[in-house]
Amino acid sequence: MGCSASLPDRSSSGRLVGPNSENGGASDAKNLRVKLVLLGDSGVGKSCIVLRFVRGQFDPTSKVTVGASFLSQTIALQDSTTVKFEIWDTAGQERYAALAPLYYRGAAVAVIVYDITSPESFNKAQYWVKELQKHGSPDIVLALVGNKADLHEKREVPVQDGIEYAEKNGMFFIETSAKTADNINQLFEEIAKRLPRPAISSTQNP
Amino acid sequence: MEGSSSSSAIFYDFLDRMRNPASLDLVRSIKSFIVSFSFYAANPENDGKKVQDFYTTMEDAIRDHPLWAGATDQEVDCAMEGLEKYVMTKLFSRTFSSTPEDVKIDLETSQKIHLLQTFLKPEHLDIPAVLRNEASWLLAEKELQKINAFKAPREKLLCVMNCCKVINNLLLNASMSENHVLAGADDFLPVLIYVMIKANPPQLHSNLKFIQLYRRQTKLVSEAAYYLTNLVSAKTFIFELNAKSLSIDEIEFEESMQAARMTNKETEKEATPTLEERTTSQGQTDPGPSARSHDKETSGASNYPYMDKEAGDLTIGDVERLLSVYKQVVTKYTGLCTAVKHLSLSRTEPHVTNLEARNVFLRQPEKTGKNSDQRVGQ
Repeated sequence: MGCSASLPDRSSSGRLVGPNSENGGASDAKNLRVKLVLLGDSGVGKSCIVLRFVRGQFDPTSKVTVGASFLSQTIALQDSTTVKFEIWDTAGQERYAALAPLYYRGAAVAVIVYDITSPESFNKAQYWVKELQKHGSPDIVLALVGNKADLHEKREVPVQDGIEYAEKNGMFFIETSAKTADNINQLFEEIAKRLPRPAISSTQNP
Repeated sequence: MEGSSSSSAIFYDFLDRMRNPASLDLVRSIKSFIVSFSFYAANPENDGKKVQDFYTTMEDAIRDHPLWAGATDQEVDCAMEGLEKYVMTKLFSRTFSSTPEDVKIDLETSQKIHLLQTFLKPEHLDIPAVLRNEASWLLAEKELQKINAFKAPREKLLCVMNCCKVINNLLLNASMSENHVLAGADDFLPVLIYVMIKANPPQLHSNLKFIQLYRRQTKLVSEAAYYLTNLVSAKTFIFELNAKSLSIDEIEFEESMQAARMTNKETEKEATPTLEERTTSQGQTDPGPSARSHDKETSGASNYPYMDKEAGDLTIGDVERLLSVYKQVVTKYTGLCTAVKHLSLSRTEPHVTNLEARNVFLRQPEKTGKNSDQRVGQ
């Protein structure tokens, strides 16, 4: 149960970004480059969310990297800045938990995903939140995501639980469905808005 | 990753420009930087920082240099790739696996992998059946095993990237043709770990550390950083691995490790690997000119412990191990032959020629150098 292999979905709200900022180089105040790490139990649909996001924004002129576990996608915001997300997926199986610090080191954003039909995965999400609060970089943007929101009838984690936990921990919270694409773009746009902006000063020559 | 323009073309272009008398100042900086390394004992973290700072300084110098006046970012980048390769080839023996700890970790990792190879199966890492594709795995293994054939950090990194790309393609193909839900890193990492164990790449730890320290930092971002992190992560997992890390009965794990150790001990007792032995054993199994350029290809003498044995030395107990080593050698040999056939044109680097070219580069500016020195002196 995961990503239906969908065709590029044009109905997405995010504007497409042309072939500018293809440079993998430094980010400046106008064009942010952001490392985003995905954490969560295996099977919660981490990679499906990202695939949805990347495919939903698909545009032949934009430079996207679609790998099985690393993806990058650029979105444009209303204030004419762009944000290039470099999305680092992590293996969710318990046996790899100790390796996570190698991945979240230096990440500007951590998206912690659980499955609304699995209380166990919600517990695991809370574990990751605590770990990142302790060991992540201090200004990291944390987002808590309840995925598989389309499976109402199997829901076991109430929306309220997610909202409350996120509020208590000062995180952004959203429920998504990678299957129907619900709230996928909103998730990334909201993250983009919350990113700390670098001061507009000593940027490199264009 | 990049890779459109061949790396040797970039390198020759760099050497050409350095031969130009106008680049004398750059050549001097490079030479004195390299020489400065011989004054101090190895200290990986410091050395890494020194080299990175040098890259930055040189990039600025190149941008401001008349020879590169009006050059595009890409041209400057090419020059920097050439510089990285030149400097790190020169400093290789001084910087690669330069501390006893590194040597020790390499040895321990390779020994542990060697034990694991005797019994580890894909199901121990819960690798889904659709991803058990021996042909793909073998390809990925070969990419990893090439890592010692190169001295430049960029080229070592390329081996890492190529290995990961093969695995990536395997996952993408499985998701399209086999209807296997794309599970991202949940699938990627276990396959990478398994491939790494099957490949037992030479001096794994030192190679990864070398890339991390000496690849230009502006290039260790994004996808490259991600895949390198995955290799570091897989290596760490293997290094720390115990029964609890695997889907295996604890007793079975311990017994298998013990059995593997026993066979190893018996065969290694008299064949403690020395450097000479390594080279001879390698010379004898050397399948062709391409492998000869793998100048430190240490599959480890422990992998071929029978090289100096006479028939009378062997016991019945050796048969199993001998057969497994034999199979390994044959697999590697056939693999290498195919690889050489396919890749000898596109990939093998003319190391010897490079060496000559390098010497020329160093000698030529020297002549002009003396003249201008005199002029300065007057």
